[in-house]
Amino acid sequence: MKPENPFLLERSLVVGVVDEAPGVKTYTLRLSSSYSAEPGQFNMIYIYGLGEVPLSISSPPLKRGSFTYVEHTARAVGAVTGAILSRVSTGSLVGLRGPYGRGWPLREAEGRDLVVLAGGIGLAPLRPVIKCVESSRDAFGRLNILYGARSPEYLLYKYELEEYARIPNTKLLLSSDTASPSWSYHVGFVTDLIEYIDVDVGDSVVFVCGPEAMMRTSVKKLLNRGFRSDQIYVSLERRMRCGVGVCGTCQLGHYFVCRDGPVFSISELGEYFWIEGI
Amino acid sequence: MKKLMLEFKKLLGDPVFLGYKRGSTIPVFDEIRSISELPLEISDVQKPGKYEIVEGFRFRHSHSSPKWYLLPPEQVILTISPSYDAIDSGVSEGRRAVLFGVKPCDLKAIAVLDKILLDKHPVYTAKRRGIVGVVVEECMEPGGTCFCASVNSGPIVESGFDVAYARLDKETLLLKPGSDIGRQVLKSMGLERASSEYTELYKQMVGRAIDSMKRKLPDLERAQRALRGLASSQEFWEEISKKCIGCGNCNYVCPTCFCTEFIDRVGENHAERVATWIGCLTYTYGLVAGGHFRKQLYMRYRHYTLHKFLYYPLQTGGLLGCVGCGRCITWCPIGLDLIENLSRVLKVKNVEA
Ligand SMILES: Cc1cc2nc3c(=O)[nH]c(=O)nc-3n(C[C@H](O)[C@H](O)[C@H](O)COP(=O)(O)OP(=O)(O)OC[C@H]3O[C@@H](n4cnc5c(N)ncnc54)[C@H](O)[C@@H]3O)c2cc1C
Ligand code: SF4
Ligand code: SF4
Ligand code: FES
Repeated sequence: MKPENPFLLERSLVVGVVDEAPGVKTYTLRLSSSYSAEPGQFNMIYIYGLGEVPLSISSPPLKRGSFTYVEHTARAVGAVTGAILSRVSTGSLVGLRGPYGRGWPLREAEGRDLVVLAGGIGLAPLRPVIKCVESSRDAFGRLNILYGARSPEYLLYKYELEEYARIPNTKLLLSSDTASPSWSYHVGFVTDLIEYIDVDVGDSVVFVCGPEAMMRTSVKKLLNRGFRSDQIYVSLERRMRCGVGVCGTCQLGHYFVCRDGPVFSISELGEYFWIEGI
Repeated sequence: MKKLMLEFKKLLGDPVFLGYKRGSTIPVFDEIRSISELPLEISDVQKPGKYEIVEGFRFRHSHSSPKWYLLPPEQVILTISPSYDAIDSGVSEGRRAVLFGVKPCDLKAIAVLDKILLDKHPVYTAKRRGIVGVVVEECMEPGGTCFCASVNSGPIVESGFDVAYARLDKETLLLKPGSDIGRQVLKSMGLERASSEYTELYKQMVGRAIDSMKRKLPDLERAQRALRGLASSQEFWEEISKKCIGCGNCNYVCPTCFCTEFIDRVGENHAERVATWIGCLTYTYGLVAGGHFRKQLYMRYRHYTLHKFLYYPLQTGGLLGCVGCGRCITWCPIGLDLIENLSRVLKVKNVEA
């Protein structure tokens, strides 16, 4: 009997590209209609001859006719992401497999308040959360969105960001590490905004994604504000080769981040979250 | 031995035999075509950082292991065209095979790999599902770096095999069945029931084998508790790993290490996606553009140790990632000794307590 091969790729057509920030673009990919994914899951994107990278799914999958469309926001940092930014454009093909991983526990958030806290490209995996809350607004309590970047030009989704403030019962707080003339929001770290969170601390959940240092500071501050470790969720990055729990390279303690995560509660992570290089 | 092979052949419809194959140098795990290819007339001498083949009849193992077959150093997982069509899914049905003369520790290692990879990794699964028979050689004289008795994986086997044999001396084999197939094989070989003289000798030899293993973990559970307590102690891990050079040899020779990375091998009109072994002790393991998840060697050494003794049990429903074969000690160019390190763990914890 021949086992199934989880490494088969689906050929996917790029149907749209948007410039987000320096070195960052969002791609719309067309997939077969059977594709579906949950907020916080990721795909492996393959560029012929170069390799695969894990990328978060940055929009809720959209079914139209005989296809499903998903977005990915990619930042050029190395070989494969560099090739995506420089070579992939509308009409290009890429290989794709997924979705993988355990996403944000939206169920857990139902009926409660929700804080979305993102730094830089960390908003990508959280954008589907915001869109899901928007489309089933009554299922959730208050929504607080805290988002910051190095400078205003590095914010993602600028074309829709301010609309998040118009979602009913929603507070949008933005920050930029550096000041600029047209910037009317907070100047400083996104973690400064934790002070202004306006939710029922005892009955809420917090989703955090950003650079690891930012997530650690965030979690410390959130714990100080009275959130419990089982209310705080983070999405972790590790070097991933397979995405399906067999290559071992994404291990964090006994977890396979690709399969058991990438989203974990701080209580699940325990000391793994704090020990450097574990 | 020949008869044993023949009976398996007859009963299982001509499978291939896989075992430690004698070559001009060190035996490697491979297809065995005739009995003369088995390492029956050699012994290995193993010490920290040393390995030698001499005349004798006590071959234990080499740098190689059944992993070489089940999860080879390179696995083609997909062949793809520039327009992203799959040319070859890379996975074919595994050959019908009998593992012949594998060691108790090898068997345990396969049980560990099964928990992680079976029905998940296509190459491993295909090959593993093709294994139709298992013949184990029990160790009456463990090797110089072996410590299987400390981690419950040797020197004899109780389950998971068809036939196990022990070489009481160069000429005398004591065989035991471990399954219906095994019973059938032994029956058709027309063997006599061993007299109590032999079974007594066997028991004595097993006892001596266990006693002869110099490396011992007096109390595994205590060591595990101590390791848990030491996870965040940078100082301790720096101290324990200070001689390690991060070559990854220990990972590659370890029969349960399964980590791989994927690379693209580009041909004229296709690319092969190839999974290749990568050891967590090596620098590139956690390296990413603009960062590193285990930059310092002590972090990598810590993960290696904790994976084997704390994390595997959580990933496999209780099995240790260490089977006590001692390969990591023998094949470490520095001769770093895992068991000595673990003993230090206990000492450090004692001092603190
Ligand atoms: C679950 C998850 C979701 C992610 N989502 C996004 C996203 O939405 N947008 C985005 O821009 N980036 C995302 N990343 C990071 C992204 O995968 C890396 O930036 C990318 O893999 C870099 O690959 P490279 O070939 O360009 O870099 P190189 O460093 O040249 O690649 C070498 C190898 O390292 C791996 N690698 C490098 N950096 C990382 C990293 N930070 N994390 C994991 N593997 C890495 C690559 O896959 C490749 O195999 C995500 C990572 C993970 C684990
Ligand atoms: S010890 Fe290292 S190389 Fe071996 S399986 Fe664990 S993480 Fe992989
Ligand atoms: S074989 Fe020895 S030196 Fe090489 S990585 Fe392992 S412990 Fe370190
Ligand atoms: S990416 Fe391979 S095990 Fe997680």
